[in-house]
Amino acid sequence: MLMSDSSAAVSPQICGTPALRRKNLGAAGPEKFTAEFIQKQVEEFEIGKRHLANMMGEDPENFTQEDIDRSIAYLFPSGLFEKRARPLMKVRLSADLCFPPCEAVQWGPDGRPFHFLFYTGKQYYYSLMHDLYGRVLKVEKHQDQLRAKGLFPTEPKQIALGTSRWLTKEELEARLVEPISSQDYECFIQLLERLVAMPCCSLEQQFVMSHRQQLEAQSMHQVVPPLQKDDAGVDFSTAEGRRKTSRGSVVVRDCGAGRLTVNGQDYLHYFPVLQDREQLMFPLQFCGLLGRFDLDCSVSGGGRSSQAGALRLAISRALLSFLPQSEGEAMRQAGLLTPDPRVRERKKPGQEGARRKFTWKKR
Amino acid sequence: MAASISGLLKPWTPRVLLVRWSRYNPYYLEPEVRKEAYSRPESELSAEEKEERELKMLRPIKAATNSTTSSVFNDPLYLKFMSTNRFSTLENIKRKQVEKYHKATDGQKDGIECNPYVIFHQALENCKPVVTLASIQKGGKYYQVPIPLTGQRQRFLAMKWMITECRENKHRRTHMYEKLSQELLAAFEKEGNVIKKKHELHKMAEANRAYAHYRWW
Repeated sequence: MLMSDSSAAVSPQICGTPALRRKNLGAAGPEKFTAEFIQKQVEEFEIGKRHLANMMGEDPENFTQEDIDRSIAYLFPSGLFEKRARPLMKVRLSADLCFPPCEAVQWGPDGRPFHFLFYTGKQYYYSLMHDLYGRVLKVEKHQDQLRAKGLFPTEPKQIALGTSRWLTKEELEARLVEPISSQDYECFIQLLERLVAMPCCSLEQQFVMSHRQQLEAQSMHQVVPPLQKDDAGVDFSTAEGRRKTSRGSVVVRDCGAGRLTVNGQDYLHYFPVLQDREQLMFPLQFCGLLGRFDLDCSVSGGGRSSQAGALRLAISRALLSFLPQSEGEAMRQAGLLTPDPRVRERKKPGQEGARRKFTWKKR
Repeated sequence: MAASISGLLKPWTPRVLLVRWSRYNPYYLEPEVRKEAYSRPESELSAEEKEERELKMLRPIKAATNSTTSSVFNDPLYLKFMSTNRFSTLENIKRKQVEKYHKATDGQKDGIECNPYVIFHQALENCKPVVTLASIQKGGKYYQVPIPLTGQRQRFLAMKWMITECRENKHRRTHMYEKLSQELLAAFEKEGNVIKKKHELHKMAEANRAYAHYRWW
């Protein structure tokens, strides 16, 4: 029988019974979201969006996601408390809902996998390690060549890592789209460190930097309260602070004489203990601005020490608007701008207090 | 910053509660309260200090404690010694010294120290023992063996002796700060009961020198 030389792919099963060719539906495994499947869903979503716009009498061209949400909430009112259980019409290609990423089918129609490391189970991780080791060998070969020619540099140029860190395990998992164990991650980092430690590693600078995450300076996260002007044209700023159960707020006014009022009273009356007054003065003394400001504080809750701590934090935050950024950074490094997270530890059952156990009796 | 790192920055409880854990996660660094540390220009720093500065720029910092300030009167050692009633002792010392200063002739005025912090530090230094005795068993008998002391232990013993001595051996009607100031001044001059105790301990250690080789650590 002549074989037709059509361009169609030749099926490996040239002969076989229909029973063999019938797909075993029970052994299909978990549903794989192929790229075509996702594409089809997206197209259906677009069509459905236009239908919905027509139903609501709105313009199908300019129908945004908020309009969709509003329409669905109108057409399908739900009294459920859990927001995620309410009716939803959205295309979200993220890992937590709808379609998990990249669960595309990994093998061809003949059942042969595309990736050569498919049968390791973690194909992307092992291919990354394979690639990395190949680069290590390449750098070593380059070094040997230089040595053979006598051109080995006495002061080799290292990769400038700068202020960056290696990718964390979670980030690596997100990149590889498959779970890896902590031992795998450690092996990966060790191999990268080995590559970076070699003298001629600047060949692979770009590869290494692609696996590093840039760290940003902490001072970028500081929220500076806005500097306001009151009726007399004097600058002032307001800030709040808290410590344990105390809540304090302070108004710092410029062109003052160093007067402090706490809850209407003079601070000497409100805080008779020296340590509390020292804490209030700490931010001002640190910046050298003791006599310049007038402070109007109000505080409630907690004890004397925690009230003083709350006010200290509030004063430091309010001072940020009067100071340049470098001074603010100095204050942050002195520990003035961090809210103190220490709270009272709870008492545990079977113990007398948080840490104290009952008296141990031998019998 | 990645979501995982910002998750690390909040106050946390470790999954397995260890005996000694802190509300800060290990990413936080200790604060530097002294003003002088921030006024040094770039050129004076060594390479490690520059690296430390870089690290401090990127990491979050813990909050400063209630008892620390950046003022000149903040002395961590003195705080350890006496956190309550602090200024009464120092004030007393200062008063006595200034009295002595004004009564002294011109030639002696240079020798009188008026700074109470200096007096306190010097008195503590004078009270620190160098060796102590440990009871070590050898061949059925217990011997008093002289052993060296670490700096931490020396400081602790000096402070402990000072406070115990003031509590027990002085007249009960005087205030603690009064007793302490007397004792600190005496220790500064290398007199007083605490110095005597230190000398006795040293004499005992000297007497038991022969057994020093019984120490195996």
